[in-house]
Amino acid sequence: MLSIKDLYANVEEKQILKGLSLDIKPGEVHAIMGPNGAGKSTMGYVLSGRDGYEVESGSAQLNGVDLLELEAEERARAGLFLAFQYPVEIPGVSNLEFLKAAVDAQRAARGEEAVSSKDFLKMAREACKQVNLPADFLKRGVNEGFSGGEKKRNEIMQMILLQPKLCILDESDSGLDIDALQVVAEGVNSQRDGERSFIVVTHYQRLLDYIKPDYVHVLSEGRIVRSGDASLALELEEQGYAWLKEQRAADETA
Amino acid sequence: MSNWLSAAVEQAQALGEQMPAWRQASLPLLQGARWPTRKTEAWKYLPVNVWEQIKLDAPANPTPQLQAIEGVDSIDLVFVDGRLQNLPASLPAGLTITTFADADSQQAIAELFGQIKPGRHVFGLANDLLATDGLLVQVAAGAAIEQPLRIVNLVSAGEEAHTRVLVRVGAGARVSVIEESLGQGPSRNTAYAEYLLEESASLEHYRFALQGSAAVNVGGAHFKLQQQAQLNSTLVGFGSQLSRLDVDVIHAGEQANAKLNAIYLLDGKELFDLHSTIEHAVPNCTTEENVRGIVADNSRAVFNGRIHIHRNAQKTLAELNNRNLLMSDRAEIDTKPELEIYADDVRCAHGATVAAIDKKALYYMQSRGISRSQAQVMLSFGFINELVEEMPNEALADWLRPQLRERFAAMEVK
Repeated sequence: MLSIKDLYANVEEKQILKGLSLDIKPGEVHAIMGPNGAGKSTMGYVLSGRDGYEVESGSAQLNGVDLLELEAEERARAGLFLAFQYPVEIPGVSNLEFLKAAVDAQRAARGEEAVSSKDFLKMAREACKQVNLPADFLKRGVNEGFSGGEKKRNEIMQMILLQPKLCILDESDSGLDIDALQVVAEGVNSQRDGERSFIVVTHYQRLLDYIKPDYVHVLSEGRIVRSGDASLALELEEQGYAWLKEQRAADETA
Repeated sequence: MSNWLSAAVEQAQALGEQMPAWRQASLPLLQGARWPTRKTEAWKYLPVNVWEQIKLDAPANPTPQLQAIEGVDSIDLVFVDGRLQNLPASLPAGLTITTFADADSQQAIAELFGQIKPGRHVFGLANDLLATDGLLVQVAAGAAIEQPLRIVNLVSAGEEAHTRVLVRVGAGARVSVIEESLGQGPSRNTAYAEYLLEESASLEHYRFALQGSAAVNVGGAHFKLQQQAQLNSTLVGFGSQLSRLDVDVIHAGEQANAKLNAIYLLDGKELFDLHSTIEHAVPNCTTEENVRGIVADNSRAVFNGRIHIHRNAQKTLAELNNRNLLMSDRAEIDTKPELEIYADDVRCAHGATVAAIDKKALYYMQSRGISRSQAQVMLSFGFINELVEEMPNEALADWLRPQLRERFAAMEVK
């Protein structure tokens, strides 16, 4: 599904990703954990094609398609979805209009016809229900005046409507109370179908109680320094990241 | 003085005593007025000479046709080339509409005509003399008029037209007035309206200047708010070779509130100049003014927003904001918010920005598969749509939105 090889990337001429490699097979859920500043969010931005995130070397392929060659919108149409840590407010553009434009653009890219407004409204209402957002959120400006939890649920609703192949959830649990966390997790789990893959970026093991990962990776200083199964998250929860320093010191002496 | 202005003065002089006294009063004012030049501060950015230079050739286009607004059951009052068409046969109780020629209305006209519109507007003084057809709208105290009044100013190509509207909203009364200007092809037009909102009166006001780019037009909307009066006004301008609108609000009674939204969408070599002046003459009033524009290609927008808070106007709340989106390197915006405060216990804020599209929002939309160009259109449109959404009349907003979209789509082609 996703194959990242030895990726180096800069933000404002500062190297953030330093040899990131990651392979994800269809249907897998990979959790990425790690200390602040490790490059977790940068990974999502680089893969999704945000301006100012410059790839220096390495490769990233989604189902054999070279992502790094594509515009941001083309990556989305290729099946990549990033759930933002801080979803953007767009006053004046209604959520419904935004969602329909996105779905239509992706359908058009696949050579499919646009959904009728009526059918789309039905789909969107259904998706709202799934993430426990009242349907009148469709009429409001995109994320405009939404609470932190509502914004995160709105991200998951977009994911449900867009049906991507690979979803990157960038701290979709941050700022959520336990009820909202469950809604987000249920939304994600409802989309797990054995084909769709997920990268779950989080600081807390708690989310992984609800979204069970197949693999857990520790990202530090722009690359993955340790990988394991779900038990690694528990271990990190107990130990923190102090061991990273020791390991780095050991690496340097060696 | 300009030839055009001289001709207007001569024409009025010839009429002399035949003019009603309320009109005559403007003649000496106009004779003493200076024709604006580039050195006149209030006209600094507008080429006034276009007003005279424009060629009013034989009509190339027929008179535009008026179409109903879906979902808006309006009372229509139509000027065609400055000539008022038939008045409606029946009106709701509490609403009286007469023409300037009506013998019984002379006193009521004299009480409003030129009394709210400041005398500094030269074109306004010219309009005093030239707008022979005019409307007097009176809403009786306490009357709530549900049907909006739609006052349309149709100007055919090749014509010069001058219209005037006077509106008195009686104490505690409520009414909605839509002023709409339409016309393609070269034409010359002045359109002024004066509104008196008596105590606790409420006015929902719209002014849509949707003429084509060859139509030169200068006009104004002037409001006087008595105690506890409520004004909610939305202006939309498309710009033209020369398009100028002066808005004046006078807070003359305490606890009056004015909410003013304005939108302009300019393209080609169009110009649009909005000058607004809010006078807080008494304490405890509020003003909230939001002006937004999108300026494309070679066009130019001018906004001058003045809020004047008099010495005794304590506890005034006033906010003025002008935000602009520049779509091209050649487009120009000259914006000047002015706060003049003589009272010490007031809350005021003003700001003006000129910006390009929000990159974060653009990326967010692209990350959902929306192309960059479509995202730009959606974001730009959203920028003005925010104010459209604030229009109290939803059906009217639904009618306006596609027109703005169409206009906007045309701007995008370049």
